[in-house]
Parts: sequence; structure tokens; C-alpha cells
Amino acid sequence: MTVEETNASADETDDAPAIVTRGLAFSYPIAHGEASLEIVWPDMCINRGSFCALVGETGSGKTTLLRSLKPELAPAGAYRGEARVLGRVVHGPNAYGDSAQESDGTVAFTPLESAQAIGFVMQDPAAQIVCDTVWHELAFGLENLGTPQNEMRRRVAEVAHFFGIEPWVRKKTEDLSGGQKQLVNLASVLALRPRVLLLDEPTAQLDPNAVKQFLFLLGRVNRELGITVIIATHSPEDVEPYATQRIDLSESFAPATRQAAEAVLASRWEKRRELFFGGEVDGKGSGNVAAKSGGLMSRDAAIRVRDLHFRFDRREPWVLRGIDLNIARGSVHAIVGGNGCGKTTLLRCMAGVLKPQRGSVSNALAGSQAMLPQDPKALFVCDSVAEELMEWSGRCGYGQREADAVAERFGLDAFAARHPYDLSGGQQQKLAIAKLLLADPQLLFLDEPTKGLDPSSCAELSHIVRGLSDAGKTIVLVTHDLDFALVTADFVSMPFDGEVACTEPVDDFFANNLVYRPNAKSRLFAEIAARG
Amino acid sequence: MTNVFHTYHPAVAFAFLASALALSMACLHPVFTTLSLAGALACSCVCRGGRATLLSLRWVVPLCLVVAAANPFFVASGSTELFRIGQRAIYAEALAYGLCSGGMFASVFLWFASYSACMDSENSLALFGNFLPTVSLMVSQVLRLVPQFVSRGQAISDVQDCASAAAPRDKRDAARGRMRVVSVLMGWGMEDALERSDAMRARGYDCGARRTTYARFHFGVRDAAVLAVVLALAAASAVCAWAVLSLYSFYPTMSAVGAWWLFVPYALLMLAPSALWLREWLDWRSCE
Repeated sequence: MTVEETNASADETDDAPAIVTRGLAFSYPIAHGEASLEIVWPDMCINRGSFCALVGETGSGKTTLLRSLKPELAPAGAYRGEARVLGRVVHGPNAYGDSAQESDGTVAFTPLESAQAIGFVMQDPAAQIVCDTVWHELAFGLENLGTPQNEMRRRVAEVAHFFGIEPWVRKKTEDLSGGQKQLVNLASVLALRPRVLLLDEPTAQLDPNAVKQFLFLLGRVNRELGITVIIATHSPEDVEPYATQRIDLSESFAPATRQAAEAVLASRWEKRRELFFGGEVDGKGSGNVAAKSGGLMSRDAAIRVRDLHFRFDRREPWVLRGIDLNIARGSVHAIVGGNGCGKTTLLRCMAGVLKPQRGSVSNALAGSQAMLPQDPKALFVCDSVAEELMEWSGRCGYGQREADAVAERFGLDAFAARHPYDLSGGQQQKLAIAKLLLADPQLLFLDEPTKGLDPSSCAELSHIVRGLSDAGKTIVLVTHDLDFALVTADFVSMPFDGEVACTEPVDDFFANNLVYRPNAKSRLFAEIAARG
Repeated sequence: MTNVFHTYHPAVAFAFLASALALSMACLHPVFTTLSLAGALACSCVCRGGRATLLSLRWVVPLCLVVAAANPFFVASGSTELFRIGQRAIYAEALAYGLCSGGMFASVFLWFASYSACMDSENSLALFGNFLPTVSLMVSQVLRLVPQFVSRGQAISDVQDCASAAAPRDKRDAARGRMRVVSVLMGWGMEDALERSDAMRARGYDCGARRTTYARFHFGVRDAAVLAVVLALAAASAVCAWAVLSLYSFYPTMSAVGAWWLFVPYALLMLAPSALWLREWLDWRSCE
């Protein structure tokens, strides 16, 4: 079938809303030992040209709903009720037949039509990319549909222009940043000229700047091209400027202001200040920050970094040029900054993974450290949560009792038989931390620990990290999430241009930063204000 | 360093380098080999740069001298005795044959080096992808996955290396840890494969339509002209070389070289990359 024919046959139902569901519900096939749960979604009607935010916590069935609306990706299981996309039946009577007309004139999608009409973008930017170069990735879908050569050229050119991809269209997809990868994913879907675009938490793994850029372009796709956008998200604040409609799948906290969270944390900050500066503390708001940091310098530090220089290759520029940093024993030290400021490199130097070319790193706790990688999957080797927690029992000398206790503390006991990959992002993160904690490290490195987590998981993580430092562990974390740094850290350092631009106690740091600062309101703050 | 063929369709570079390679390997003859070596050096200079060529000569020259010197010791044919080592006579013809094979070895190496500089995976795919669409997609996917596997393997072993709190107790334990890297990589890769296959189906992979292949390179008149010249020269060289080689032998005495004009097409073919380079250079000079 050619492109023109498809468009013509779709025009017959052009007046139908983009998406209509009535009493749609779904249940997964019953897994071993777990109760079968039916997910029931509210009835929806999304008009053409809308920008709809689908809001809900992890586990509220956002992903399943979006996938159910895309015939190729609909999960296997039992459906009830009815769903139509662009007037075509996706679930309900006549959904699985061929495209024969029913008495009321409803038709199902053929695979070719569905691929063209409904675009789908998933969460993980890297996992969706199929080809090695950007131009080939943009052409991939068009190749699948058998688009003729000249048409293919113009469509690839079009989307590359629209998204500003042209300067790096010949690059290898592996060399792109996360934000660029996700733009390529969006562009390659858009090259198929869909009329409905479904996005499943597309910005969850991006840094804040990339999130803003991605959503801005998505807003243009919606307004300028008139494409209906349905985006599942757990941070509706980000999409608020663009959304015309919002559907809540679960009750969520209203966002709270930064001040509310700060008020809850104030007493903790006061105590921590006393702990780290002892007698030197001379009342709050003295403003003599330099002296206080100086006090920190002289104290017994867990990690001392002096004049650290590092580059990846002799011909490449320095990534770090003269870092001086102390990490106090028992503190939570956050290293914040944008992409490419060298914060992860600094972390890897401190952890001893990278050897500095000049300068020194002395780590008093090097014998008892552990690192939480950006992707917790790098830690998982076993087939079930229970086995995973017991993996290091021989090496570290703990038993089943300790493992069970940790599993219970992190709420993982209910999933003991599950495969770690079948957990949600937040649960995977908790499993990884639980596994590390069983090894009882005195020093813990966390690399972007909030990547892909929803606010309540973030709040929980913050709680865990603060608890660990109260128990005397030292924690160094690298993050671009300033909200998380504010509610979690004792000290904050900001590397810039290969040096540490400043290191201050968390309250001073954020009081003195005017431009680079946390959100004024967020749901993480609400969770913190409610739970402490 | 951009190679001299980069403004042409990959078919041009492929046709030239493939015929140059084939002719160099087929024509073991003092004049042909000399021309081929000169051409290979010039081509390597314009495709890979002078510095890279010089660097590869560092070991090509000694190796081809070894080949040249070894031949007379193993082959006792020929009529002009140069000298004797013990019972063994060293003949001039055998030495000449050795020199020719050494030269051929060097030129073939240099042609291959130029080939790999001009025909990267993308160019090869553009050339063969139309005949083998599935293979070309597969190659593209493999090229995407290999670097991802490597960087992930690095990430996993980094995490293991710096987890000193859970350090292996003995060497066997440590070896098992290394094996774990592989098992994590496999599990992770398979998990990814599920998501990637979803992403492929979402964009219509296997939707029933017949796949087409996006052609990044356009085959224009200029490409056709250069390609025609290259093919014509290659065919003429092959005919001439056949005429020359059928009458030529190294042993027992080296035959006479024969008519000079039989070598002209071969010489022109070998000079083609330098000619393309010169043209581009003149174009730019006239702009200044």
C-alpha cells in the first residue's frame, strides 16, 4: 500500500477524536505465586491536536496504558472495555479481526497503518536506537515501510532540519549525549508522519537542560505540526507550559515550596553544622563561609584530593585541572554541575577507578568502599532479588537473616522471587543500594542516583542516604538534580572548567546561588516536608 | 586527512582499488611491479596522508627486503651466477624474482591500507546494501552494539573494582568475578534486546511492506565518467598485461621487456588517484 492510499483511508475517520477509551481494563497473565491484578483506567477522550499529560506514580499503569494504545506493543493479557485511536478500534469488538468493516463502520489498524499513524517513544534513550549512525536511524522506520528513495531523502532532511540535527547527522549514535539520543528517537518516529505521538516518560533519564530542550521541541511538534501528543510523566510541572489536558492515574502530592522543605531540614542542618565544625560554629548566618570551609579543611577528612589533573588521552584536553577537595568523614557530599563539567570523572578518580596524571587522591576509606553505578543493572548478576541480596554473603560474611532484614527495610521482601530486571526503576535502585549496604562499606559513591526515579522514590532515597550518614558512613554523590542535593547533602561542591568553583555547606551553597538553583516548588519538597 | 575519493560515490573508490589490487597481485613483472609500487605509494599518500604512509614504510620496507633476500637461497634456478655460499649458487634471476615479489608484497599492502582508508563500513554498506538489505541492516546494528557492549563491560568492571567492601577473598573468587562481568553483560544485552525489538516493531519493522534501503550517496555523471575511465583503463591493462606476461619468464634468463606502449594503460591506471588529487589541488589554487 502506498503512502497516499493510507492517508486517504485514514481521512474517512478524520473527525473522530485522537483517543477514546471506555471502561478499559487490563490484567496480566497470572505469574508464579503473585496475585493477578486488574488495572482499570478512567475513561478518556483526547481530541486531535491536544497535548495530554498522563500523570501518575510509578506502578500506576501509565506504561501499560500507552502500550495498549499501540497495537504492536500491546502487552499480552486480558482486556476489557473498548479503546479507539483515530477512530480505529484498538481494543474491543473487531479489534483483532482483519480490517473488514463492521456494521458501525469501525476498522482496526493494519500493521503498516499503525506504524505510520501512531508514534511511540520510550524511556531509555539508548535502548531504542537500532542503527549505528544518526542518518540511518532517522531512515530506519522509512526503510521498514518501503518508502521510495526520494521520499525518504526529503523526510529525513525535513525532520533533521526541524530538530536541528543536521550538524551531527553523520555522527555515530553511540557518541551522542542522552538528550541528543532521545531527540533522534523522537525525530525518527516523526519521519513516519504520525498523527498521534505516545511518549512513555521520555525525559526521565535526561539532565534538566536536556529535559527543557526536549519538551520545548515536543511542544513545537504539537503546536506547529498539529500532532496529538500523549506524554506519560511523573513530573507534570515540567510539561505544564505545553499541556492542554491532564489525566491523573493516581493521587499525587501537590508540590510544596522549597521553603517548606528547608523548614523541615533546618534543625538537621544546624546539628550537622555543629558536628562538622564543632566549637568553631559561631551562630547561624555569620556569613563567614570561607572560614567555615577552612575549618572543614583542617579536620580529619575521609578523602583528600590535591591538585588533581586528569585527561583521557594525551592529545585530548584536560577534564580536571587542579581539583582540591576534602570529603569530611561521616558527611554527605554532593558534587553538582551540568553535563561535561567532569563531575563523574572526579568521582571515578576518587573511587580509584581512574588514575590521576598529576596530583594526588588519598582515600582513608579505600579499603571499605562501594559504588552505585548510574545504571543499577551493572550490579545485578542473579536471577532473583533474594539471590541477588545473598550474592556477596560469602565475601562479606553476612547471612540470610541480615539479607532478609535489609529486604524488609527497603520494601523488597514482597518481590523476593522476581528477576531484578522486572522491578521498576526505583525498586532496582533500592535493590542496588540494599546489596551494597550488605557489604557494609564505610564509604559509598553514588553516580546520578536519582536518574529515572519518581519524587516519592527520590524522597525515600534521600531518607536512606541521610540515615546512612547518621550511622557514620561517608557518602559522595554526583548529581544534576539540585532539588535532591538540597534535601540530602551536608556539603555541596560545584566543579567548573576542571576546577572546583566552590565548596560550601548545603544551606550556604543554595542561599548564595542565584542562577543555578533548585526549583521553587516541587513534589520532592512536598514529600520531604511531609516525611522529613 | 580526507581521502581523494571522498567526493565520489563509493563505487569509484571500490572499482579502482579492487582492480589495482587484482592487477598488482596478478602481474609479477619488473615493470608492472615497479609501476604498481609507485602507484600504491602515491595513492597511499593522497588517501592516508604522507605521514601515515611513511610510518607504514617503517616495517613494509624491511619485510619486503627479507622476501627479496630469501628467494635466492630457496630457489636455485637462473643462469647468471653471482656468487656461491658453500655449495649453494646465488643467481641474479632468482634475486630479481625475489625483489619483484617483495615489491608486489609492499604494493599489495599499501593498496589494502588505502582500501581500508577509503572504504569504511558506511561506504561498503552503501555499495553492497542494495544487494543484501538484511545484511546491511544487521551490520549497522552490530556496529551500534559493539561499542555499547565495550563501554558497558567497562562500567561493570569499574563497579566491581571499586567495591573494595565486597572484595574477592582469593584468586578463584576474583576469577569468578571476571566471569560475572560476562554474565551481567549477556543479561543486560538480552534485556535491552526486548526493548529494542519493541522500538523496531513500533516503527514498522516486519509490518509486511517490502523494505527499502536509504542511499546516502548519489551516483552522478561525474562518478559515472571517472568510473568508466577507471574500468576502461583496468580492462586495457589486463589485456596488455596478459600479452606481456604470456611471453615473459624470469628463469632461466629474464626475457626482454618488450614494447613500451603495452605498459601505458597500466601506468595511467596507477596514476589515477594522483591525477584526481592534482585536479582538486589546481581547483583550490585557482580560488586563491
